[in-house]
This record gives sequence, structure tokens and C-alpha cells, in this order.
Amino acid sequence: MMTHFIQKGNVEATELDGEWIILNTEQYTITKLNGAGGLCWSLLNKIQTVDTLVNSLIEEYKTIQNKEQVKQDIEEFLANLTECGLIEHVNRP
Amino acid sequence: MLKTKIGDFYIRILCESKNLRTMLEKNFHSYIPIGNKQPDLVINIEDGFGVSFQDYYVDIMKDSNQIFYRRADYYIKVDSDFRTALVSVHNELALKHALMNLFSSFIVYHNWGLLIHSSCVIDNGRAHIFSGQSGAGKSTAAKLSFPRNLLSDEATLVKITEEDVQVYNSPFRSEIEADSFSGNLSLGSVQILFQALQNKRERVAKSEALFQLMDKVFFWPHSQEETSRIMKLMTLMVKQVPVYELHFQKNNSFWELIS
Repeated sequence: MMTHFIQKGNVEATELDGEWIILNTEQYTITKLNGAGGLCWSLLNKIQTVDTLVNSLIEEYKTIQNKEQVKQDIEEFLANLTECGLIEHVNRP
Repeated sequence: MLKTKIGDFYIRILCESKNLRTMLEKNFHSYIPIGNKQPDLVINIEDGFGVSFQDYYVDIMKDSNQIFYRRADYYIKVDSDFRTALVSVHNELALKHALMNLFSSFIVYHNWGLLIHSSCVIDNGRAHIFSGQSGAGKSTAAKLSFPRNLLSDEATLVKITEEDVQVYNSPFRSEIEADSFSGNLSLGSVQILFQALQNKRERVAKSEALFQLMDKVFFWPHSQEETSRIMKLMTLMVKQVPVYELHFQKNNSFWELIS
């Protein structure tokens, strides 16, 4: 089954010169994201899956050749964000 | 009773203990006439609490009317509108730390600014902050900056607005006592320090600056709202003030890179 992800509510995010800083206000951790990470983060204010994020990235960065690599990167990215307590799984009916 | 002004705020301090009053008068003496200004914060101080310093852990609790900060050597009870506080301490060190805790929470409550773990030096009418990890050289940089005047040697008092970032003389001192400067100066730069064999100063991206400076703020958050307010203030600061990594030799030649 496809896993769905969304931002958790306990975060404060700010964009500075194309990079993002995400503060987990519950655990007092800070995560820094580059531009591509920031784009994914912004999209995660609505429910996303690995595939929807991959498609959005490919749409944004038209030079991307290796879709499989992007997919692996996104899976790793989502695992990291989950570990940092910034996103959570949601069950879709 | 001691009347003083810290930043833009009038503070009234009441303390029966003679020993503690000596420390208060030394550090919180006001060089400007306060007169009968209505205080923004009234602090009652008493001694006889707890044991001597154990560690920095502060237990924070709150109910609908008050916030409580408790460390082994101090206890603060403050109204949730931060107008009156009772501070019970074990000794002078506990009092100093308790007042930093209280005042830091007070200025964040008012969304006024931040107390930043750093020293701050005046050069050509502007303020320059030196921050960094423990042992990086904050107080060394301050001492090497003599005869320039200091606004802080440990905890810099920074007012942050959409238009400007200003530094005020800090009464929260480690070794170097405050002088009589009673105004405020625009913050020209922030240095994150690294001791090195050669001087080098490099501008840090704003996101990296925010990342590096967030853990330099003295704060004891009692709510997520307060934590996000701190982040917003710090974001405003790094948007307006350039932040640099300063690798410096242990002499005053690093000033050539700043002035």
C-alpha cells in the first residue's frame, strides 16, 4: 500500500535565500534543507506520497534524468524527516 | 528597593538579604535617573532556597496564572503576564542565573528581543557580537578588543524589530563589569568564533547563521508558542545583520577584518 505523508503541526519553518530551516518546537531540534528539500517540505503541507513528490521534483527540475535515483533520494529524505519528527504517516481511506 | 532599567524596561527589585543586595547594586545600578516611572516588572528576591549549584537543568511548570522555573539552587514564580515575580535563591550565582532566566523569558514574552550567549564590543559607534561554542573565545575576543568599550561579556541584550536590530548595555556580566553607557547601538555584525593560527572572516549564509545561532540564545521555553517566537526573532535578526565565521589569532589583529 502506498504510504502518505504530511507535515506535523509542531513545527515552525522559515525560508532564507532559498534554503529552509525547520524548527521542531516540541523537541527543540533544527533541520536545514536545501532548495529541493524546501520544495518537498512546502508540498508536504498537503498529503503527499513518494510518487507525487518525485513527479513534482521532475516537473520543477527539468534536467533530472534518473527517476529511480530521485525516488531513492525522496524515500531517504522522508525517512529522515520522519525521524526528526517533522512529518507523519497518514491513513487515507 | 532598587530601581533600574534594562533594555527599554523599568524594573523594580525588592530584596531583604544584605549579601544579595550588594551583588544587585553592583550589577544592576542604573546610570540614568529612573524617578517614579511605573515599573514594567517588579521582582521580589529572597534567599534561603535550595542547595548550591548542581547543574543547569530547569524544571518548568505552569498553571493558568503563573509560570514556575525550578533549578536546584533557584525558584522563580512569575505571573503569566510577566508583571510581578518572586525569585528565591540559594546564593549569588543562583541569583545571577535566575535573573537571566527571568529576564530572557520576559523579553521573549514581550516579543522585544533576545539574550544571546556572546560578548559584544563597540567599534566606530556600532555594536559587534562575538559568539561561538563554549571555549571558542567569546570573552577572549572581548578582552583583546580593549580599549574599545563592551556592551556585554557573556549575555548580549538584543532588541529586534522589523526595521532594526539594536544592542543595549547588558547587566548580566561574567568578569568585566558594565560601564556607564546607557543608550543603544545598531548591531553591525555577528562573528561566530573559532580560534586559529591565521585570521580569516567569511560571510555565512542566512540559513546557516540561523542554524548556528539558535542554540546561543538563553531561553527556558514553557510553550511551543514561545519557541516559535524566538525563532521568528532570530530570523528577523539574521535577515538584517551579516553573520560571519571568524577564525582568529589570539591578538587584536582580527579587528582589521571587521572595522
